[in-house]
Amino acid sequence: MRQGLKAGASALILAMLAGAMPAWADFWSDAGAKFKGVTLHGVTESTPPSNYIKDVLAPQFEEKTGINVEIETTSWDQMYDKAIKDMEAGTGIYDMVYIEQDIIYAYLARNFLVDITKTLKDDPSLKAPTFDEAKFTTFADYFKNADGDLFGVPMEAFIKVYLYRTDLFNDPEIQAAFKAKTGKDLKPATTHEDYTQIAEFFTEYGKEKGLDLWGTTSQAHTGHPASWYEFFESVAPTFGVYNWGINAADNYGASVEHGGTMNSPEAKTALKYLLHLRDIAPPESAASTWTEVATTFAAGRAAQGLVYGENAAWIASDPDQSKVVGNVGVALPPLEPGVLEAAEAGKGYIGYYDGGAFGLPVTSKNKEAALLFMQYIGQDEVQGPWAVAGSRITNTATYDDPAVQELDKKLGGYFTMLRDQGKLFAGAPPYPFHAQVREATAPIFYEILTGAIEPDAGLDQMAAKAEEELTNLGYRK
Amino acid sequence: MRSNKVGWWLLAPTLAILGIFGILPFIYVLYLAFHQWNPFGANPEQVFNGANNFRRLVFDKEFLLAIWVTLKFGVFAVASEIVIGYFLAQLFMREFPGKGFFRTIHTLPLIVAPIVVGSIWRLMTTPSVGIIPFYANELFGIDINIGRDAGTAFLFTVIMDIWHWTPLVTLTLLAALLSLPKDPFEQAQIDGASRSQIFWHITLPMIRPAILATVFIRLMDALRTVDEVWMLTGGGPGAATRYLGLHIWKVVFPKTDYGYGAAISVIVLYLTLVMCWMLYVGLVAPRNKGN
Repeated sequence: MRQGLKAGASALILAMLAGAMPAWADFWSDAGAKFKGVTLHGVTESTPPSNYIKDVLAPQFEEKTGINVEIETTSWDQMYDKAIKDMEAGTGIYDMVYIEQDIIYAYLARNFLVDITKTLKDDPSLKAPTFDEAKFTTFADYFKNADGDLFGVPMEAFIKVYLYRTDLFNDPEIQAAFKAKTGKDLKPATTHEDYTQIAEFFTEYGKEKGLDLWGTTSQAHTGHPASWYEFFESVAPTFGVYNWGINAADNYGASVEHGGTMNSPEAKTALKYLLHLRDIAPPESAASTWTEVATTFAAGRAAQGLVYGENAAWIASDPDQSKVVGNVGVALPPLEPGVLEAAEAGKGYIGYYDGGAFGLPVTSKNKEAALLFMQYIGQDEVQGPWAVAGSRITNTATYDDPAVQELDKKLGGYFTMLRDQGKLFAGAPPYPFHAQVREATAPIFYEILTGAIEPDAGLDQMAAKAEEELTNLGYRK
Repeated sequence: MRSNKVGWWLLAPTLAILGIFGILPFIYVLYLAFHQWNPFGANPEQVFNGANNFRRLVFDKEFLLAIWVTLKFGVFAVASEIVIGYFLAQLFMREFPGKGFFRTIHTLPLIVAPIVVGSIWRLMTTPSVGIIPFYANELFGIDINIGRDAGTAFLFTVIMDIWHWTPLVTLTLLAALLSLPKDPFEQAQIDGASRSQIFWHITLPMIRPAILATVFIRLMDALRTVDEVWMLTGGGPGAATRYLGLHIWKVVFPKTDYGYGAAISVIVLYLTLVMCWMLYVGLVAPRNKGN
């Protein structure tokens, strides 16, 4: 009897699923029918994940819905420039804009974006059955408001990791030379002291052997915000200086005098550490942004370095672009004592959790059609190949994809690290004045890099400048 | 009466375009210059603040430095372009094998977009990658690093500008030289004038209007240069090549300080007009007075 009931229930479920399947399969064509011929315009940064949207996901969506999608991929600066101008002026050129995690707070403060959760709730006919906000990783939390509503569909997320050359680190001859020189075993550094010793060793080793090899990469451009980010988002947190050293809870103080840590002893030590590494990094470092750091590592010119995760996949697996395929190891960034414990306790973080989402501007003229596209790129089924192409994961289901698991092995466990230890990293602090404070303080930072200002005095000046800017903007009273 | 009306109708499209794309935006910029407006500030509204933005300019070290480096850049670049352009124009006045080919090659930089020019020079000057640092080191043992050395970065922005814009100067001066009458030169030669005397007393005064027009155009261009330098150095190292155009761009776009950026734009326009007026007074007015 029970067997019969079970069989009956199974048959009923199967019948319901069979009935539902065609509806799911047809959802895109049905939902897209009323927008057929509409052309959606999106703007995003030219990165591997964005290019995948442009080259693969957009054409797929067009085929299924009849809605045209034009994705403009451009430089980081231009992407912001175009999106902000469009939303500020209300011209409605773009139906989708890339929102980097660090700018979301500014966009929310200006009410630039459509509440995706609410809109889909208000109009269930737009809701794709295969789109589920709950499937996103915790990175999606950065794109939610206080009520938990989503304002952007996460499309890329990476952690800035410590990459090292396994071929060099595992070479017995090099290991012996390192041991003889430092008395230590050669293994990925866990402390700044170890990292510095390894970097110094390989720079000297390269010089002695006449190789184009240096001990570390360094993102130290003297006129581009990349170097500023390297310090505040990647290096300073590993010394226990969080949120750029600005204390939002204490009237946005930046200087130690006013409750901040931007010019704290820890920040000053961190800056000197960065400057020393820059001095023993390849000569192109003074003109390197995040892109050049990745190409420097891929060219086999550095033994180790902090590299944005979005580049990890091609560095480790694409022989057309990288000379170090199969020789890349991944580890957590080197830290000061106590920083890891603080991160595990949720009181700090050890590095940068980078990424972005596709948002829908309130000025868009094709909101419903754009929402369909954004749900399309948020479904489970498109995630696996996208992760392989762009080393990005924003959906928990992606980790189980066999192709992703295969790539994870080549990447030395990068995806596993993202899943298991991603929580130790953090995105930019929730400041609506992100670009403003950065631009106010960056010129001083560039002067520090050139040596025109001493690091200690420079950080004092930057803290004062940050407070001045925050006062001008009306945040600091 | 009727012909007057026709004249106005014919002028109307030009006046409309000038009004919409020139005068109205200028009035808006002027309006913004007297307001504090940062859409990402605690108060994102426009707030009238009198002449505070202009007052702030006077004490803004970054702005003052930007003026100084821009003036240096303008003087070095434009002066070099005029001198090199003149010699090339003189060269093209003569016949030599391959002249047509050389003239075509020489003119090519003019049709390259500034952003591409910046990219080309960045590729050529990036340490470890570019051919310029490579050969400078191989042949002369000189380490060139535009990311670290302010003087080198400045020099390369000037050289890049010269490479890009000297052909324009050459073509302008060539046109001026070709239009000169032959009689004064023949008479001077008969009277036994030397080549330098002919240059200083006949050629130069006769092509002075063309030189002046070229200097005006190039100086105004140099004062607002952005894309090439942005691509090559990003304004660095430090603020060594943060020229006015780039400075304004950084204040207005990434920093979104629209009111202050508008004030800087107005002042830069004023400075450009003053410089051109001074050049005019210095070079043209005395001659007219003499005449």
